[in-house]
Amino acid sequence: MKAAYLNMTTGTIAALIAVLTGAFCMLLEPTLPWLVTWPAGWSLPMSDWIGTSLTWFLELIKPAMRAFSMLLAYPMSGAHALFAATPWPLSIGLITALGWYIGGVSLAALGLFGLGFIVATGLWLESMSTLSLVAVSVPLALVLGAGIGILANEVPRLRNAIQTVMDVMQTVPTFAYLTPLLFLFGFGPVVGLIASIIYAAPPMARNLMLGLDRVESDIKEAAIMSGGTRMQQLFLVEIPSAKTQIMVGVNQCLMAALSMVIIAAVIGGFKDLGWEVLLTMRKAWFGPSMMAGMAIVVFAMIIDRYSGTLASTRQRHDWRIASGIAALGVIAATATWQNLPDPSSITLLDPVAKWLDAGLTSVLQQNGAALDAFKNGSLFYGLLPLRIGLDGAVLPFTWGFQWTGMMSLVYYAIWAIVAGVLALRGRAALGLTLLIFAGIIETGVAELPWPFVVIGAGALGWVSGGRRLAVFATLMMTVLLVSGLWDRALLSLYLSGAAVITCAIFGGAIGLLCAVSPLVWRIVLPICDMLQTIPLFVFLIPVLMFFQIGEFSAFLAICLYAIVPMIRYTRHGLVNTPDELIEAAISSGATPWQTLREVRAPYAAPTILLGLNQTILFAFAMLVIAALIGTTGLGQSIYGALAKANMGLGITSGAAMAILALVADRLVQGFANERRQALGL
Amino acid sequence: MTNQDTAAAQPAISCRGVWQVFGADAKSKLADALDRSGTKSGGDSDVAAQILREDGLIPAVQDATFDVMPGELFVIMGLSGSGKSTIVRCISQLLQATSGEILVDGENLVEASKSRLIELRRRKLGMVFQHFGLFPHMTALENVAFPLKMQGQNKPDRLARAMEVINLVGLEGRENSYPREMSGGQRQRVGIARSLAVNPDIWFLDEPFSALDPLIRRQLQDEFINIQATLKKSIVFITHDITEALKIADRIAIMRDGKIVQIGTPTEIVLNPVDDYVREFSKDVAKGRHARVASVMRALTADDKTPDDPGLRPGMTLEAALARCISLYDPVPVHDETGKMIGVVDPAVLAAALQAEEA
Repeated sequence: MKAAYLNMTTGTIAALIAVLTGAFCMLLEPTLPWLVTWPAGWSLPMSDWIGTSLTWFLELIKPAMRAFSMLLAYPMSGAHALFAATPWPLSIGLITALGWYIGGVSLAALGLFGLGFIVATGLWLESMSTLSLVAVSVPLALVLGAGIGILANEVPRLRNAIQTVMDVMQTVPTFAYLTPLLFLFGFGPVVGLIASIIYAAPPMARNLMLGLDRVESDIKEAAIMSGGTRMQQLFLVEIPSAKTQIMVGVNQCLMAALSMVIIAAVIGGFKDLGWEVLLTMRKAWFGPSMMAGMAIVVFAMIIDRYSGTLASTRQRHDWRIASGIAALGVIAATATWQNLPDPSSITLLDPVAKWLDAGLTSVLQQNGAALDAFKNGSLFYGLLPLRIGLDGAVLPFTWGFQWTGMMSLVYYAIWAIVAGVLALRGRAALGLTLLIFAGIIETGVAELPWPFVVIGAGALGWVSGGRRLAVFATLMMTVLLVSGLWDRALLSLYLSGAAVITCAIFGGAIGLLCAVSPLVWRIVLPICDMLQTIPLFVFLIPVLMFFQIGEFSAFLAICLYAIVPMIRYTRHGLVNTPDELIEAAISSGATPWQTLREVRAPYAAPTILLGLNQTILFAFAMLVIAALIGTTGLGQSIYGALAKANMGLGITSGAAMAILALVADRLVQGFANERRQALGL
Repeated sequence: MTNQDTAAAQPAISCRGVWQVFGADAKSKLADALDRSGTKSGGDSDVAAQILREDGLIPAVQDATFDVMPGELFVIMGLSGSGKSTIVRCISQLLQATSGEILVDGENLVEASKSRLIELRRRKLGMVFQHFGLFPHMTALENVAFPLKMQGQNKPDRLARAMEVINLVGLEGRENSYPREMSGGQRQRVGIARSLAVNPDIWFLDEPFSALDPLIRRQLQDEFINIQATLKKSIVFITHDITEALKIADRIAIMRDGKIVQIGTPTEIVLNPVDDYVREFSKDVAKGRHARVASVMRALTADDKTPDDPGLRPGMTLEAALARCISLYDPVPVHDETGKMIGVVDPAVLAAALQAEEA
């Protein structure tokens, strides 16, 4: 990837362009203020346009959709009535029996104690509401997803289009499409149901496509030569051969549906677990909110482990014991038929909740100063400078002195010298990159001049994926710029950027540690598993408890959620270096540290970049949820739009979010591909 | 390329009762099995291996004992899964042997510290891998220079030395290519160059030519023999190909199920296989091309008349010898390099030795 001009690499040229643009904007700021801040009058009223046209279109299909929602309401209320009316000892018995059959004693115990815990919290009925939503949405999502997957497989011309639509669907924040759904279907649980169908279908479609893709050509050809019709080939040979991958799809579909059902509680109208969390959180009842959060986690774990075991192992356990357990449930239910306490009145764990509340209060009182110091330190020395720049964040109140123009000059001079020295040593790209970062920290992400961001994104695209990506990135950023959401987009960029950098540093370090020490991995693995099972929503509870509403809590919640892929991929990349390369390094006399640095790390680079990519997407997903506890960017507009049923704003903000995520995704993928090609993989 | 006459010298590599057992708690279980079977006091190691197998462990290398002399090319041969790759990894300490002694120039590697092992690898040992083990993110030159970098040599020096070795393996002009841009034969040349970069005394080659096309394989074998003729390394060479083994080896060790069943020169292996397993290997080999006249020679007796002298030498292959004696019946003399007669060969015996393989 070398450009011929002046013997500079693409990276150096791109960095130079960005630096020059930034310097240019800064110099001209006094005379041409519009170069830094995009004048509001230049923005196009995209939200209004989209709102108007969408309203017109949706009005058109509204009657059909309302009828559809009436239709959906039947199975839903049916399932709800059934689950709520079944005496809980019977439900527990049946689920425990199923657990035994699928996965033996460990799954049965998970079912028994997990559901027992839910009963003890007194949230049984709320759980059953959630379950009924999942139970109705998942089969529909599975059918929809399978249909899409098969269509993509059978009609190769549609494949790319379908893939793109699914990419976009996964990057558009969930809250964003709740607004038009709300408009179409009115308030009520059906909106959550439909949102979760839309959200949960893509994982199924993806895995089905992947599974069918991976069926060996020998097997496919054998089916053709046996004289099967295309449908016979598909349903009798290819789909059964892809069964494992498809079951992974089912598992992901379940988890996505659950996550969405719980998020959909923000629109209210249904007394389920998500609502319970939201309600208690709003009232700052942390004990009960913890309990409800735990109930969600337990619920998610049961669904995940059950379906995961179903997907990964074929061996089933003795059905006679399972029947025995189920019979026990029936007996318990009949015995207690008359005097079964109303599950809502069970308050076994209320003391625990109270104790948690009290404990938390005392912990907060005792360590309040330390927590505040931690929070303020992170804000003053990390987040704030990144957001509004050193020139805005360094105040007598925060840093103990006032940032002056002179300091800016000295600061830039120092970094320019560093960049110059590095350039002389042949590391020009690195030097310029450092200079760019220094500049960003001085100015603040939220106050970056727009030409710098747009051209910088284009330059980055050029380095990562050539001309096409450069055009794509520039174009997308320009759309954002004229959409009237630019300021909010920069704020979102800042918060997710801060979280991603934090995750990259800490996640990378933890991943490295896990790669070096199997013991650490054994501790970290279950934590990662758990963090990935927990629905997004629940992450808000603990951060809120300790750090109250605000940007810092949102930042922590995002980090908690988004750090997992970074850890996993870093470790995976470092551990999965081919044995022969390791042996070659060892027999060349490399120490373990040298092997890590010279062989494992370069080999793992593409994998680690993919992890970073996932981390970015996770951060954007969580950013919207975190809007509930106080952020200022696009997430907040989406959430606000939902509250005000402002469809245009909701959709444009969602699209803006998706654009940011897509650009970031393509950029990182581009770098990962380049590394992979360089490794000949 | 002689070996027997240097027997008095200290061996370059010496393996004494090396075991490599895979499975949980291998070390103590092996010690226990050795006690029970009395292997250390002269008992049968097969008994110990059987005990281990019944316990669910896998004895990948069983009681391996052999010496490799300085400058000797020692080939270890066996089918896949016979433990030959494992044994070379024990010697190079990529695997920690479960029990036994591995002496390199008298130093026991099993007891060497980690830093000492790194030191040895940086100065004394070189290894070539079956699938080349080239670092994909480095050019050919950087790959070859890697062990020198580990030694801490500065960049100009190590690149100069790497270039020397690249020339030695005939890759000049390709030094700035990446592995993905090279053919299999070229990649293995890089692998060979890398293992020679530090000029090691001891050279391990783990099936270096197995992954190559037959034509390229033969070409590299020939070049390898040439390189060895000038460098005179002490070599442990792993292969599953009997033809390759016979072509290059000074001595061959044949392994089965982790056990060395026979050690001998190529001729001994071909002409006197110890069991059916070894015989099976040499079955497809044209004996005439590997067995030497010396193997069918006998001493001159009083009533031998040797009217003809077709000029046989003890190092001649049977095939070449037969071509010279094709119309002769009486015993023919064999002379050594100085022209002294050292024995006779009966043409009938010669023909019979060649025919034995057809049976």
